[in-house]
Amino acid sequence: MRKLLSVLLPVIVLAAAGVTWFATRVPSSPFDGVAGSQAPSPELIQRGEYIARLADCVGCHGSPDQPPFTGGLEMATPVGSIFATNITPDKETGIGNYSLADFDRAVRHDVARDGHHLYPAMPYPSYAKLSDDDVRALYAYFMHGVKPARHANKASDIPWPLSIRWPLAFWSALFMDHGSHHEQPSENAVWNRGAYLVQGPGHCGACHTPRGLAFNERALDDSNPLFLSGALLDGWYAPSLRGDPNRGLGRWSEDELHQFLKTGRNRHAVVFGSMTDAFNNSTQFMTDEDLRAIAHYLKSLPGDPRRDGPAWHYDPKSNDTLALNARLKTPGAQTFLAKCSFCHGADGRGQGQWFPPLAGAASLMARENASSINVTLNGSKRVVADGIPDAYRMPPFREQLSDRQIADVLSFARSSWGNNGEPVKPEEVKHLRESTDPANSSVIILHMR
Amino acid sequence: MKLTINGITHQVEAEPDTPLLWVLRDELGMTGTKYGCGIAQCGACSVMVDDIVTRACVTPIESLENRRITTIEGIENDPVGKRVVAAWVKHQVPQCGYCQSGQVMAATALLKETPHPGDDEIAAAMVNLCRCGTYNAISAAIHDLAGDERTGQ
Ligand code: HEC
Ligand code: HEC
Ligand code: HEC
Repeated sequence: MRKLLSVLLPVIVLAAAGVTWFATRVPSSPFDGVAGSQAPSPELIQRGEYIARLADCVGCHGSPDQPPFTGGLEMATPVGSIFATNITPDKETGIGNYSLADFDRAVRHDVARDGHHLYPAMPYPSYAKLSDDDVRALYAYFMHGVKPARHANKASDIPWPLSIRWPLAFWSALFMDHGSHHEQPSENAVWNRGAYLVQGPGHCGACHTPRGLAFNERALDDSNPLFLSGALLDGWYAPSLRGDPNRGLGRWSEDELHQFLKTGRNRHAVVFGSMTDAFNNSTQFMTDEDLRAIAHYLKSLPGDPRRDGPAWHYDPKSNDTLALNARLKTPGAQTFLAKCSFCHGADGRGQGQWFPPLAGAASLMARENASSINVTLNGSKRVVADGIPDAYRMPPFREQLSDRQIADVLSFARSSWGNNGEPVKPEEVKHLRESTDPANSSVIILHMR
Repeated sequence: MKLTINGITHQVEAEPDTPLLWVLRDELGMTGTKYGCGIAQCGACSVMVDDIVTRACVTPIESLENRRITTIEGIENDPVGKRVVAAWVKHQVPQCGYCQSGQVMAATALLKETPHPGDDEIAAAMVNLCRCGTYNAISAAIHDLAGDERTGQ
């Protein structure tokens, strides 16, 4: 026994020391010992501002009633809420004391300046792919282009011992793809630029890629067919961005995709749900060149016919159920006619780019029906394109329609005009009605924005 | 852009995504069509486009070139519309009147689609809201018209 102990003890001690070293070590940065420029050029700062747009830093680190980048957004983790922090260059409450290397470690790794690990609510698994040049430009912008603002960070409400952060080191070791983005030599420059934007700063996968048990994105690049194959997050279903014709972008052209990301709308869809934030803060500010690259890259990702089924075709037969003498007989048909058809068209085909069609809409064919229920209950937020708010918006029906009426009208829309979505149950509407009611104690707290 | 309203062609300046309601009321001064909820739920802004009832507050004018728009100002040029207005007067339907131009549009479109609608068809088509609660009078007027042999002309 003593002999066994004398062998085991050193092993245990060594292992514990190894774990401690691993969990508390500060990852290296290519910028270690490199001073950020004291007087960066206006071009570098401007470039950094553009990258902050690409990466939508303000989406989480800003709130409407405060100076930009002072943080405050509440975000969920499995053990409680944390709050996005002040990333203005204020020395006391912000990141004014961050060196370029510290900044790099927070953005591309998961470690703040004082050594604590960050929750992946901050999308560093994607930002890990940012190029050195882009990190340098971002840093120049945050230090010299953003006004310092005093605004104390809100402490998280996670109780000890769950608040201990070193286990996050193992999370990122397991689930991150450390190392920067690699060019695919077999693809052209436009494709490679698109891949970089989507996987890196754009962090599209944070919402559009399915997550595993540890809340990890199940794929971080196109080598895995699950990448951008659609995911449910925070009560919204972000559909596939792959070539799937029903629940993805199979029927969209590159130009239409470009138009959607630039103006928030095209003849297939209009942004809503959490995509509104991504559009309002980020995609509309991308240059046409970058948007074309994103569109080109996304259109190269193949769909999966086993997942997506036979391609959708418009079926006019279902309009018979809407006839004057028939619509009271089909549940949901009368509600559709009275409440929805004037905007979405009595034939379900929408009105140009102003009202999206319900015929062939991804949200109505996706197995996850959350987006269709959520948007019907709560409507959508203002889409602000080029500083101009939209003229038309999806209204909230929370006060007007019962769980049963919403279930019926959505079941009707999900099975009409060739749509092949499963019916919606009133219990599902009830559940989302409660978890999206701001007055409710169990309201959804965002994981991602 | 050109819009044909009550048989007259108007040249309008508004942007293509402008709702028809704004063009009618603000640009052309045709204020018989009312603004109610602005989100296609109440029906106060109903007009007919090619004889189909349409909510002007959610209809971008872009889609209306070469279509036939009928508003309350022109409803009595239409034989069915003329009888609907007469029935409305006979049954003294309006109270405050705000929703009534929309109600008359809905009734006219219904009778143009089917001259003798049954109870179910009336219920399916007459979905405009009325805050004075004139629903009984509306129903009486429509049932009167539905039984009227001349309605089909
Ligand atoms: C999806 C939301 C989200 C986005 C987008 C985001 N962040 Fe964060 N970030 C967070 C959250 C939440 C934290 C705090 C994490 C924690 O406490 O574990 C954080 C922490 C940080 C920190 C550590 C600051 C400190 O000392 O507390 C820095 C630096 C930072 N973010 C910079 C950025 C930059 C730069 C961008 C854009 C390139 C960005 N973030 C985009 C959510 C986000
Ligand atoms: C904060 C979460 C989030 C992020 C980040 C995000 N999206 Fe989305 N996206 C959604 C949601 C939710 C929808 C569904 C609602 C809609 O259609 O607008 C969506 C819809 C879309 C659609 C329309 C799909 C369809 O079939 O209707 C496209 C295209 C799209 N996103 C592209 C992108 C791209 C490109 C990026 C990265 C630059 C991105 N999204 C980042 C949440 C997100
Ligand atoms: C006032 C006009 C209006 C009415 C009425 C309306 N919608 Fe919408 N709806 C919109 C607009 C506009 C959007 C696109 C998002 C936005 O810009 O608000 C939308 C989006 C949607 C979407 C998402 C479509 C997609 O691309 O995936 C669904 C589903 C939907 N509506 C269902 C309904 C249902 C069901 C009703 C009736 C109960 C209804 N809508 C009534 C205007 C309307």
